[in-house]
Amino acid sequence: MAVNTPLTATSGRIAETPSQTINRREVVKFTFNGNQYTAYEGDTIASALAAAGVDVFSRSFKYHRPRGLMCATGNCPNCLVQIGDEPNVRACVTPVESQMKVEPQNVFPSLGADLMSMTQMIGRFLPAGFYYKTFIHPRQMWPVYERMLRTAAGLGKVDEESHPGYFDKIYKHADVTIVGGGPAGLKAAQTAAKIGARVLLLEEQPALGGHLRQSTELINGQPAYEYAAALAAEVSQLANVDVMTNTGAFGRYDHNWLGASSGNRLVKVRTGALVVATGAYEIPPLFENNDLPGVMLGSAVSRLIHLWGVRPGKYAVVVSANRRGLQTALDMVKAGVHVSALAEMRAEPDADLIDQLRAHNVEIFTGWTVAEAQGSSHINGVTLRNLTTGATRNFYCDLLVLSTAFLPANGLIYQAGGRFTWSDTLNEFVPAALPDDVFAAGEVSATHTLAEIEREGELAGLQAALAAGLGSEQDRQRADTLAVEVEQHREARQAWSAYGLIQADAKKDFVCFCEDVTRKDVRSTLEEGYDSMELLKRYSTVSMGPCQGKMCNMTAMHVCAHYTGKGIAETGTTTSRPPVTPLSFGALGGRIMEPVRHTPMHEWHVAHGAKVMNAGLWKRPLHYGHPTQEVHAVREHVGLIDVSTLGKLHLHGKDVPALLERMYTNRWQKLNVGQVRYGVMVNEEGIITDDGVTARLSDDFYYMTTTSEGAAAVYEYIEWWLQSGWNFDVHVLNATDLRAAMNLAGPQSCQVLQKITQGVDLSNEAFPYMGAREGTIAGVPALFMRIGFTGELSYEVHVPSGYGLRVWEALIEAGAEFGISPFGVEAQRVLRLEKGHVIVGQDTDGLTNPFEANMDWVVKLDKDNFLGKPSLMMANKAGAQKLLVGFEMPDGTLPEEANQIVRPGSGPIGLEIIGRITSVRRSPTLNKVIGLCWLPTSMSAPGTTFTVRVKGELKTGKVVPLPFYDADGAKLRL
Amino acid sequence: MILLTCPNCGARNVSEFRYGGETNKRPDVNTATPHDWAEYLYMRRNPNGMIREWWYHRAGCGSWFIAERHTKTHDIIATYLWSPEAAK
Amino acid sequence: MTQLIRQGLNGSKPQQRMWRVHDMKDSYDVVIIGGGAHGLAAAYYLAKHHGITNVAVLEKRYIGHGGSGRNTTIIRSNYLTPEGVLFYDESVKLYQELSQDLNFNVMFSQRGHLTLAHTDSAVRTMRWRAEVNQLQGVDSRLVYPDELAKICPQLDLSDHPRYPIMGALFHPPGGIIRHDAVVWGYARGADERGVHIHQMTEVTGIDVQQGKVAGVQTDRGYIKTGVVLNATAGWCTLIADMAGVRLPITTHPLQACVSEPLKPFLDVVIVSGSLHVYVSQSDRGELVMGASVDPYQSYSMDSTLDFMEGLSGHVLELLPMLSKVKILRQWAGVCDMTPDYSPVMGLTPVEGFLVDVGWGTWGFKASPVSGKRMAEMIATNKTPDLIAPFRLSRFYEDALVGEKGAASVGH
Repeated sequence: MAVNTPLTATSGRIAETPSQTINRREVVKFTFNGNQYTAYEGDTIASALAAAGVDVFSRSFKYHRPRGLMCATGNCPNCLVQIGDEPNVRACVTPVESQMKVEPQNVFPSLGADLMSMTQMIGRFLPAGFYYKTFIHPRQMWPVYERMLRTAAGLGKVDEESHPGYFDKIYKHADVTIVGGGPAGLKAAQTAAKIGARVLLLEEQPALGGHLRQSTELINGQPAYEYAAALAAEVSQLANVDVMTNTGAFGRYDHNWLGASSGNRLVKVRTGALVVATGAYEIPPLFENNDLPGVMLGSAVSRLIHLWGVRPGKYAVVVSANRRGLQTALDMVKAGVHVSALAEMRAEPDADLIDQLRAHNVEIFTGWTVAEAQGSSHINGVTLRNLTTGATRNFYCDLLVLSTAFLPANGLIYQAGGRFTWSDTLNEFVPAALPDDVFAAGEVSATHTLAEIEREGELAGLQAALAAGLGSEQDRQRADTLAVEVEQHREARQAWSAYGLIQADAKKDFVCFCEDVTRKDVRSTLEEGYDSMELLKRYSTVSMGPCQGKMCNMTAMHVCAHYTGKGIAETGTTTSRPPVTPLSFGALGGRIMEPVRHTPMHEWHVAHGAKVMNAGLWKRPLHYGHPTQEVHAVREHVGLIDVSTLGKLHLHGKDVPALLERMYTNRWQKLNVGQVRYGVMVNEEGIITDDGVTARLSDDFYYMTTTSEGAAAVYEYIEWWLQSGWNFDVHVLNATDLRAAMNLAGPQSCQVLQKITQGVDLSNEAFPYMGAREGTIAGVPALFMRIGFTGELSYEVHVPSGYGLRVWEALIEAGAEFGISPFGVEAQRVLRLEKGHVIVGQDTDGLTNPFEANMDWVVKLDKDNFLGKPSLMMANKAGAQKLLVGFEMPDGTLPEEANQIVRPGSGPIGLEIIGRITSVRRSPTLNKVIGLCWLPTSMSAPGTTFTVRVKGELKTGKVVPLPFYDADGAKLRL
Repeated sequence: MILLTCPNCGARNVSEFRYGGETNKRPDVNTATPHDWAEYLYMRRNPNGMIREWWYHRAGCGSWFIAERHTKTHDIIATYLWSPEAAK
Repeated sequence: MTQLIRQGLNGSKPQQRMWRVHDMKDSYDVVIIGGGAHGLAAAYYLAKHHGITNVAVLEKRYIGHGGSGRNTTIIRSNYLTPEGVLFYDESVKLYQELSQDLNFNVMFSQRGHLTLAHTDSAVRTMRWRAEVNQLQGVDSRLVYPDELAKICPQLDLSDHPRYPIMGALFHPPGGIIRHDAVVWGYARGADERGVHIHQMTEVTGIDVQQGKVAGVQTDRGYIKTGVVLNATAGWCTLIADMAGVRLPITTHPLQACVSEPLKPFLDVVIVSGSLHVYVSQSDRGELVMGASVDPYQSYSMDSTLDFMEGLSGHVLELLPMLSKVKILRQWAGVCDMTPDYSPVMGLTPVEGFLVDVGWGTWGFKASPVSGKRMAEMIATNKTPDLIAPFRLSRFYEDALVGEKGAASVGH
């Protein structure tokens, strides 16, 4: 059926009134479904379209039934539209903006004529969960069927060209946070602020006032919307009240941590106490065709009329079960809607309003409800039914208004661990037990009359402030007195909610509008054994759509209770989860700031052609263009590498040697001042976790280095042992960022150093291999350690990081005449491999102990007490089953790291895995392929050959002794 | 976001801390049997209820401390630095 | 299909129950504690393969209440160790036939699985996994950005992200499944063969006499039995405590979330080890996402804001076009984490008390093979070779099965 397209903003409007939030002097143009529309500033997309006579906004998920405005509050799926690259936008709460291009979703081919609605014809064969019972045979066809299902599924579209928007995060701290700026929340804010609490008031709508904004009911002679505005103004002006509108709290987390969404901002709140005054969702009853366009909730009609000045229809029938429904009917009459009939479910409705309605010729049916709506793409009739006799009456209408039930918007309370009980008198859930720092007030706790709502708000504000540690003894007494009053009033409450009819022969009475789940679907699901709310939900998908149960949970429970014969209390609910309202990845991600760590020489590296790599959080040069040449430079002349990323710890105290004895596997009691030693750390399982060198610089000052990525972990680990009972006189300082470090390596390194170093005798006798000296370099105080990861004569120079660049440049300059080359991580990998040095975490893994890694020499099992001792004793006794060895590739093949070593066996392709290559390179120095690999101990002797799988082909490798280069270590000791 | 009270710094967001696992008594390395040692390395109490555990104030003062926390409700009952009395 | 037609024509006649409600007997040959996919699969295979039907499955809440109903539905076998690969591969093969076996569509969609590598060491680990997979006959290979662009064009392969994608392990047989359907299918299969499924039944004690299981105490009465299988995942140490058995397990929450439903957008499953995030698109159109376990031990199944924030930031780095897409719901389950990220299956020091636990974040994909092999173990009284590596005693034998992947530390 075609969609009406009158083009003006005025045709469906009523006269201007003070409650309306639109500015009729500002016209905004936009398009929907390819057609031009005009709106007023302050309109939502939906209110503008409704005013223009649009009645079909979307097609339902499964049956593609036409859907119109139902709640106009953002709680149901009927008005979801696509705006540019943003899918699933709720048109009824989104303000219109100039030139907005709004499109319908999930229509095939169009909103007006959707072929997928033909699925309704075979609807009986497509009950909830139908896909579990079909598409099973033949198995090969499943991918084809699945493609069909996937194409039919989903609502909005992702635009693959969409660019990330700008999003940011705000932190708030409060003593009392109130979610909901209606009368309960405003009163709570007032009382809490009065006691001196810092109050944060969050309201998801553009203005404070809650449901009073759309009400003309008189409060002390004033229309509700005016009363609300005055109260809101008063509260907003309080100095210690922070009001945020357009801010919806979506989640309550541990210890009153709240998440709220405010446009493109994520708001994170830590609050002492929380008041939930979020009101209630008005929900539709069950009846045949309850999803037709033109079927609206009473609150939707109130909002259309009072906020946006839209006449919701011409000929209406109203169904009511509470005072608000009667008031809405009256408002409709005054807005020029012809209300022919009102079905009132209560036996004794509010006489004052009934009389007024009768005076306006509205035919009243007391003790009646709605049984069926008629129409195909818009309602054109309704059948009312007598609740006792079953008698029916039919009426023509283009608008059916339902005000029969509420579901408290209590998601945040559930998330806080609050529990609810079911009240058979009120037909709603009421809070039963709340945490000490969470309070509920108003419609969210099933209280619907204003005086009581405000009283509860006052109490909640008082109690919340007290819970947050404010207030006096007097305030505490006042709270106790007020609590008694509130309780008395709560006991006297009348029901505002009633159930819809359960009609056994109804076919299209929808329980869930998001997923097109009917009462019949629910019944058959229950019958099949999915007879708890959770199983019912998962099988039928009721409440799993965009509304997440707001519109359907209550009805689903009602139907479930009916068919299982249990009460609602025993039936229970599904779990209430954040976010209460969906929010975007963008808002949650914010500005996505990822830390980067630079050494003081970083800019120099970049300026000199470094290819930069990530090494954990650090940026490091992988090479400067020619890693092979860098290797040659180190072996033949001299090279310089930035190793500032190494972990560095200062250890002071008389018990440092004892600490080192415990933390490392080797001996440390007799390290002399001026000596450096290599050490390996294992965890209590005996597994290698880190390695590095530690130097003794004075009697009680030691300098430890760790791997770059292990720095923080080693520091934390040492601190843990020190703080958990080792009574050691040791103080540790994490100096990783305090020192820049660089390694000058090569036969001419000493000559380079000589030129710019003062205060250190660099002769071989005075400063032997594995020595540590302090002096100055280029005038800067420095620590020099003569160690040799690369296998050449080399000095590692540590200086205060502020001078890192200066010293680096000084070394480069001093080394120029010797052909100095900076070298990067890749060259270093090659150099260390040529010496057979292990890289922890690459050559070793999460299960490697030192014996397997051929480091027996670093483990001194006769030490009294050190980390991992029992594990290492046992490993030593058992003997290593596999070993890390050096190898070459006789035929010159270059394997890749992680290639598997195999032998014939019973595996699925006839091969059994017996080891793997962990490091491999073509060595520029030795002109052959060298590497490290794991092999069974029985195959670890030099000369043994093995088979390795390289790119699917089997190649031969040969075990050789380590190191590959300079076996005597003569180069280190030049 | 759990609010954890560092004995030094006061109540801070749990994101400032690193978890250190259950408190776990280390056997004497020289007298422990392989069975004892394996239990120390791998077996845990894993209570549903009150747990005694280590936390490290990574983004703060660098203290290691013990917390007593309920593993279902996340109520923090107490936090304190290690002491010989606390270890019992 | 005939089921559907019959149902459609039947109109208002009541449907047949998937699983019946039985009175609880006072003894069973086998009592399985835990009505998730593992427990129900074990019951199913006990009945189907071994004719052992005097079996009770005791479930504290409703079947599939635990991890089985909370996971992010990813099925794969691209593990690191040969033992792991063989094990999960058998599971994938069982999953491939499962809809036909159970006559219930579990919607197993083998649409391809990518594990992204953002560092050199991650590339090395992916190659390690690829090589081990291939040697076990499992289809996985290392791919680089040029091929990745064809497999998943939506990925941001530029160098804008903080840690650009350097390659990925591509595993074509990996995919997604309808997790609840696996639970329901196995439950029906077990039930129709005579197994008693008792929901809303909580175990309160395990009766051990002279080192042997004698019975199980529940809140609905005592059951005499000589065989108890602990298949309770995140709650497994609470059950093991009842039998006096210690386990190397700590329980941590694992969170997940879904987006609102979208038209088909993402064809493959994406996992990023470095960014600790995974995302796939379900047949309902929702993006299903998860990350790594919460660091602290907890039995809470509540989700956190930090999880959603962290995940969103990382998902946007991989798929920057999603900034306007909204998250609809977040939840959590509890995971029984082991020191080596491999399960614990088989015998315990208490005779008759068997475990199928230690499933951490890797359990749902193993449901069929675990059920089948634990059933085999119970029926034959012998430990199948396939699951022998996962014995509890390995922690006392220094024989861990390291699935955490190679640790990575560099100078």
